[in-house]
Amino acid sequence: MMSKFRITKIALYGIMILWSTFVLMPLVWMVLASFKTRREMFTAPYDLPSALTLDSFERAWGVGLGWFIANSALITVSSVGLIILVSGTAAYVLARAKSVWLRMAYIAIVVGFAVPVAAVIVPLYQMVSAAGFVNSYVGLIIVTSAYGIPFTVILFFAFFLDFPKELEEAARLDGCSKQQIFFRIIIPLSGPAVASAAIFQAVFVWNEFLLALLLLNSPGRKTIPVGILQLQGEFTSDWPAIMAGLSLATVPLLLVFIVLQKYFVRSLAGLGK
Amino acid sequence: MNSPFGTQKQAGGRRTMSSGASNAILLLPALSLCMIFIFVPAMLAISGSLYSYGLTSPTRDFVGLGNYIKLVQDSIFWVSLKNNLIIVFGSIVLQIGIGCVLAAILDRGITFGSTFFRTIIFMPVIVSAVAVAVVWLIILDPNIGMLNKIVQSVGLTPPSLGWLGDPKISIWIVLGVAAWQQTGFMMVLILAGLQGVPQERYEAAALDGARGLRAFWYITLPSIRNILIVAVLITTIGGFKVFDFVFVLTKGGPANATQVLGTYTYLQAFTLGNLGYANAIAVVLLLIAVLIGWLQLKVSRQA
Repeated sequence: MMSKFRITKIALYGIMILWSTFVLMPLVWMVLASFKTRREMFTAPYDLPSALTLDSFERAWGVGLGWFIANSALITVSSVGLIILVSGTAAYVLARAKSVWLRMAYIAIVVGFAVPVAAVIVPLYQMVSAAGFVNSYVGLIIVTSAYGIPFTVILFFAFFLDFPKELEEAARLDGCSKQQIFFRIIIPLSGPAVASAAIFQAVFVWNEFLLALLLLNSPGRKTIPVGILQLQGEFTSDWPAIMAGLSLATVPLLLVFIVLQKYFVRSLAGLGK
Repeated sequence: MNSPFGTQKQAGGRRTMSSGASNAILLLPALSLCMIFIFVPAMLAISGSLYSYGLTSPTRDFVGLGNYIKLVQDSIFWVSLKNNLIIVFGSIVLQIGIGCVLAAILDRGITFGSTFFRTIIFMPVIVSAVAVAVVWLIILDPNIGMLNKIVQSVGLTPPSLGWLGDPKISIWIVLGVAAWQQTGFMMVLILAGLQGVPQERYEAAALDGARGLRAFWYITLPSIRNILIVAVLITTIGGFKVFDFVFVLTKGGPANATQVLGTYTYLQAFTLGNLGYANAIAVVLLLIAVLIGWLQLKVSRQA
C-alpha cells in the first residue's frame, strides 16, 4: 500500500519535472546562447559558453533595443491606464444597468472581445492612415486600448456584480452622483480587480504585434515585438546577437513576473466566474 | 423622461446630474472607442469586400459577391480555414488537456515545490509570441537546431526538409509551439477552479471508494465544468485570432501550407495589395468571431 502511494508520488513529480524542463530549456538556452561567440554557436551550440562575452549584447543593443524598450514602456503604461479608466467606469454602469439599451451595449462589447485584429485590419489601417495617425504614439495607444477594453469590461463587470450595494445606496442618499460613487467608493475598494486587469492588459499591450507592426513602423518608433523581428531579419546568422536581444527584451519581464507571480495567479482566479 | 442611457429617477429640482447623463459620461469613452475601432472597421470590411481595389488605387470597382465567389474556389482559403480549426481543436486537446493534468497534480497530487513548478510553467505566457517564435525558429533550425540533435540522439531521422519546411508537419509544429507557450495559462486558470472545489466533496467520495483517477473523473471534472467552458471559449477565440506565431515561424509557408485566415488576410492586403479580396477573407473570420462571441455571451454570467 505504502509503496503504491510512493510510486504514484514519483510519477506525479516525474510529469511536473518533465513539462517544466520542456518549458525551461528554450529559455535557459536563449540566455546561455547570448553569451557565446558566433563561432562557438556553430561548433558547440549546446555547451556552456567558454567565456562570458558581452559582444553580442552590444551588437543587439546597437540595433536600437533601448528605443524599442522605451517605446514599449510608453505605450504599455499609457494604454493600460486608459483601458483601466474607461473600462472600469463603463463596466460599473453596465453592471448596474436595467435598460435594454445598456444591455445591448454590454452585449456589443462582449462580442467585440472575439473580433480578431486581423479581421478588421484593412479598414482599420486605412482609417488610421487617413486620419494621419500612422507612426504616431497616440494613434497606436488609442487603437490598442480599444482592443483591450472588451476583456477588461468583462472582468470588471463580474467583479462589480458582486460588489455590496448597501454602500452605494448610502452614498446616493447622501447626494453623491454616480461619478462620485464610482471614484470615491467603488474604486478604493476594487484594488484586487484593478490589479488583475492591469496585469492582464500590460501583458497584452506589451506583446501586441499586428497593430504595432502596421501603425508604428518608423525606425526609432518600433515596439519590442516588432523590433525583435527586425533584429532577426538583420542578424540572420548571428544567433548570439538575436538571442542577446531576446534575453534583454524578455528576462527583465520574467524577473518581474517571478517577484509578482502570486498576483498574476490570483488575477486569473476571477476569470472562471 | 427616457434617455438611451436609462430612466431619469431623480425628479424634483435636485442639483445632481441626471442618472442618464451620468451613465453616458461613464460609459461613452469605452463604448465609443470600441465602436470606432472595432465595429466601424468591421462594417467597412463587409462593405469593402464587395469592391475590388488596391492600397493606392484611387477608384474602387463594385464587384458584388465576386470576391466571395473567388473565395470559395480558392484552395488557400480552405487550407487557412482548416489550419485555424487544427489550431483550435489541437489547442483544446493539448493546452486544456495537459493544463488540466498539471493543475490536478498541483492541486492534490504534490505539495512540496508546487509554487516552483507553477511559476516555471506559467513563465512563457508573459513572453511575447514573437520572441517565443524567434527562439523556436532557432531550436527548429534544420542545420544545427536543438530538436534535430535530440531526435538524432535517440536514433531517429529528422525531416529532410526541416521541421517548418515540410508542408505535412509544419502546422503541427506551429501548434506545438503555441502549446509550449500557452499551456501554463490554462493550468493556472484550471488550478484556480480546482482550489474552489470543497474538500468535503472529496472526503465523501473517498468514503464511497472513489480516489485518485476516479475521484478526478467523477468529482473534480464536474465541479470545474464552468471553468472548463471558459477555457474552451478562450482557446477557441485564440485559435481564430492566431497571427503572430504563423507570421514569424513560417510566414504562412511552405507553399501556404500553414496559412491561417489572419495571415492570409494580411498577405492579400499588404503583400499582394488586393484589399477587396482581403476583406472578403476577413469577413469570414469576422462571422466566426461574432458566432463565438455570441456563444460566450450565452455562457457568461448575466446580471
